[in-house]
Amino acid sequence: MTTRPMIELKDVQKYYGDYHALRGITADIRAGEFFSLLGPSGCGKTTLLRTIAGFEDITSGVVMIDGKDMEGVAANQRPTNMVFQSYAIFPHLTVEQNVAFGLRKDPRTKEEKAKAVDEALQMVGLKGFGKRAAHALSGGQRQRVALARALILKPKVLLLDEPLSALDKKMRENMQVELIRLQRQVGITFILVTHDQEEALVMSDRIAVMFDGEIAQLDDPETLYRLPKSRRVADFIGHMNFLPAKVVDEANGEIDVDVQGLGRCHINAKQAPGTNTGGEASIGFRPETLTILYEGQSASDRETTGSVEEVVYYGDMTYYDVKLDGVADPVRLSMRNVPGRPVLDRGTKTRVAWSPSALVLFR
Amino acid sequence: MDIKTRWGRFTRTPAFNGYAMISPTAFYALLLLAAPLGTVVYLSFMTDGAGVREVINQPTIGNYLTAWTDPIYRALMLRSLFVSTLVTLATVILAFPVAYYISFFVTPNKKSLWLFLITIPFWTSYLVRVFLWKVILGFNGVINSGLISLGIIEDPLTWINVNVGAIVVTLAHAYAPFAILPIFVALEKIDRSLLEAGRDLGETALTTFWRVTLPLAMPGVVGAVLIVFIPTVGDYVTPDIIGGGKIPLIANVIQKLMLGIDNMPLGSSVAVSAMLIVGAAAAIFVLINARFLKVKK
Amino acid sequence: MKPSGKGLWLYAIVYLAFLYAPILLLPLFAFNDGTIIAFPLKGFTLHWFEVMAEKDQLHIAVKNSLIVASASAVMSTILAIFAARASTRYDFKGKGAIIGLIMLPLVLPEMIVAMALLVVVLQVFGDGALGLFSMIAGHSLICTPFAIAILSGAFQSLDKSLEEAAYDLGEDRISAFRLVILPLVLPGIISSLLISFTISMDEFIIANFLGGTQQTLPVYIYSSLRFPKEIPVIMAVATGLVAVSICLLIIAEYFRRRGVAKTGGKDSGGFL
Repeated sequence: MTTRPMIELKDVQKYYGDYHALRGITADIRAGEFFSLLGPSGCGKTTLLRTIAGFEDITSGVVMIDGKDMEGVAANQRPTNMVFQSYAIFPHLTVEQNVAFGLRKDPRTKEEKAKAVDEALQMVGLKGFGKRAAHALSGGQRQRVALARALILKPKVLLLDEPLSALDKKMRENMQVELIRLQRQVGITFILVTHDQEEALVMSDRIAVMFDGEIAQLDDPETLYRLPKSRRVADFIGHMNFLPAKVVDEANGEIDVDVQGLGRCHINAKQAPGTNTGGEASIGFRPETLTILYEGQSASDRETTGSVEEVVYYGDMTYYDVKLDGVADPVRLSMRNVPGRPVLDRGTKTRVAWSPSALVLFR
Repeated sequence: MDIKTRWGRFTRTPAFNGYAMISPTAFYALLLLAAPLGTVVYLSFMTDGAGVREVINQPTIGNYLTAWTDPIYRALMLRSLFVSTLVTLATVILAFPVAYYISFFVTPNKKSLWLFLITIPFWTSYLVRVFLWKVILGFNGVINSGLISLGIIEDPLTWINVNVGAIVVTLAHAYAPFAILPIFVALEKIDRSLLEAGRDLGETALTTFWRVTLPLAMPGVVGAVLIVFIPTVGDYVTPDIIGGGKIPLIANVIQKLMLGIDNMPLGSSVAVSAMLIVGAAAAIFVLINARFLKVKK
Repeated sequence: MKPSGKGLWLYAIVYLAFLYAPILLLPLFAFNDGTIIAFPLKGFTLHWFEVMAEKDQLHIAVKNSLIVASASAVMSTILAIFAARASTRYDFKGKGAIIGLIMLPLVLPEMIVAMALLVVVLQVFGDGALGLFSMIAGHSLICTPFAIAILSGAFQSLDKSLEEAAYDLGEDRISAFRLVILPLVLPGIISSLLISFTISMDEFIIANFLGGTQQTLPVYIYSSLRFPKEIPVIMAVATGLVAVSICLLIIAEYFRRRGVAKTGGKDSGGFL
């Protein structure tokens, strides 16, 4: 596809006094995609969202929305709407009045506006709540009002600032599904700020992982998970094991590495997505890429041996910390619990299957 | 970046908006508070003229010499400090248990009702309240006539009426909410689990109060002390009405010098001196307290 | 074991009695059929209230007080809106010092404020300038810190993102203020007006210094306290004044609480 991106960020810099909050953000956000800004608190993700919304001036760089430079365009003139972390529901108004707030200057008739409000409320599942006082709503309901209030204006981009962080776990999971449904239904570009990696993985088409005011990696969830470009990204998203490694040879798109505890193996050059930064190389792999071999099973690829140091039972899964032979620190691996397959005890000697294709090289 | 856009950017910063927003009030305070206070300081170094409210622009430190050496001013200043200290002690010590009670024992939804009840008398005519204390404590006052009619005493008690004690009671009454509220706010901020931690670590209720609650409430107590101590030094209505002019304080003298005797430069210098002494006393108190708290940590 | 607080409760009740003693005595003497303010009471009368209705000087004083109190309430509330908004919404260098100066009258003895203003008025404008205007100027100055304390509470409980949400939904600075902020702080504003009015109505020292030939009610009361035969009438006047003050305070407290409830904030206490 060669259509123009909905949002183009070019070398966006933001200083608060001496504090460098955004250090040259460059990214394109496609029309109609569900895009997430993921990172720990203080990484600049909320600042970036607020510069797109127009609440913060940028120190230098360009923010374009739908092909238009936003320099000097105030928040109230931008084709974006925001769902605030606190939802910012006007407490002195009813649900209806809240949703209709942005329609004040709309030239449509009263009846048409009322109809639009009803539709918006129906869309977020709050049909019949119109006359309620806003301050009497529950957290989840406020969230829905905030969504309806923003979506009724048919913005080109909907900005969501940690919208689910105030909800409990169950409610959060429901709202995740609902937000995805809503986004598909309206087809608007959604930009979500979150510090919850699981939420980002579940919901997004693409994710920008941010650290210290920079985008560390921008990819779709699967690539981000399977091929993180740095150990920091790998660590932030899920769990990753690291083992010291040496690059022995590199030729024809193949890399020959010697991994402590696993031995020599060949990996594809694509399995080293990070740029060369020097320093010691290491090999990373996710817990689920290692498998414990029970009696009579054999590895489809490679295998090694070790002993179980710690067992953490999770119901559907069991996590094992296994000390591989020849490695000082234990690695974590996860096994799905299946009937007839016993959970191992601590101290058990075991064989472990692994595959070079699941490794990631950091160097 | 040229100046224009830089200015343009500055006008959008929070700082600029803050300055713009606060400027009307700030200018009002500068014009009607800072400038007049400055003028008082200026006047205190000038010479009094013979004419009514005449001031000769001739710098002198004579006013201050008078203010600091004249035994009358000295005696009144000491008496004022003594009275203010007594008032402050009485007010804060009487107020603390009330603040403590409201913060720790009153159910949350009744707290603001209690605070409201405590503030109501404060908002009613100060003059009349002072006068009524005279009625209560006076020679033929409520207490005396009450006790006599009950046959408990035969002659009116004199020690309760026209004296420093009556002034202290009246002022402790007047400044009650000023003492209760800061202490209450400080007590409210104390994380209740700290007290449980104190008990958990083997302290008794009393030692927990002494070692945990009181140090944490100190900021409120300091606030209460300052907000009672400083203004009471400037009070001249209470000694006037209660003492019938027999127990003048420093403020009565300042009032006389400014309005009656018409010696504004001297009045100004006595006022400035009084404020300096009070300020110094307050500063010493705050410093001692800061040290005391540091040791406690 | 948690102490029950019974002893403290008793103490608090006695303390309240101490606080309310003068106010409770007031009506007793106002309706007492005797010229001396002492027990035993002589009998019920409305005579002092009738006398009150005939005193022209008292009427002028009441009128002056109403004018000064209304003007000071409006003035100090407007000044306080600016200051409260600036201090709760923005950060800037020297904020503490500026707010400190504005709040200074709270700790400064009133007499110092009064004499400083007197000096300036006399030096700059002369004797003729003393009167209602100078009293309004002085009262606005001392009422402003109280108004700020009330309004800061109102502005503080405002979530900053409410305002941003209004911009985001297409309003500009002014319409956002009108549609969102003003309705939410309105109870605070009413409360501030009433409290400032009450303070000004009761203030004596500044009125005495700056009033010139114009008397307000407290100045009238003060000058009458010297004449024993006037005192029963003053008790009647004061009873009326206290009754009005308490009514205004209850209304003010009602609005302040409603404001807190409206913005969904937590009630953090009283006026100060």
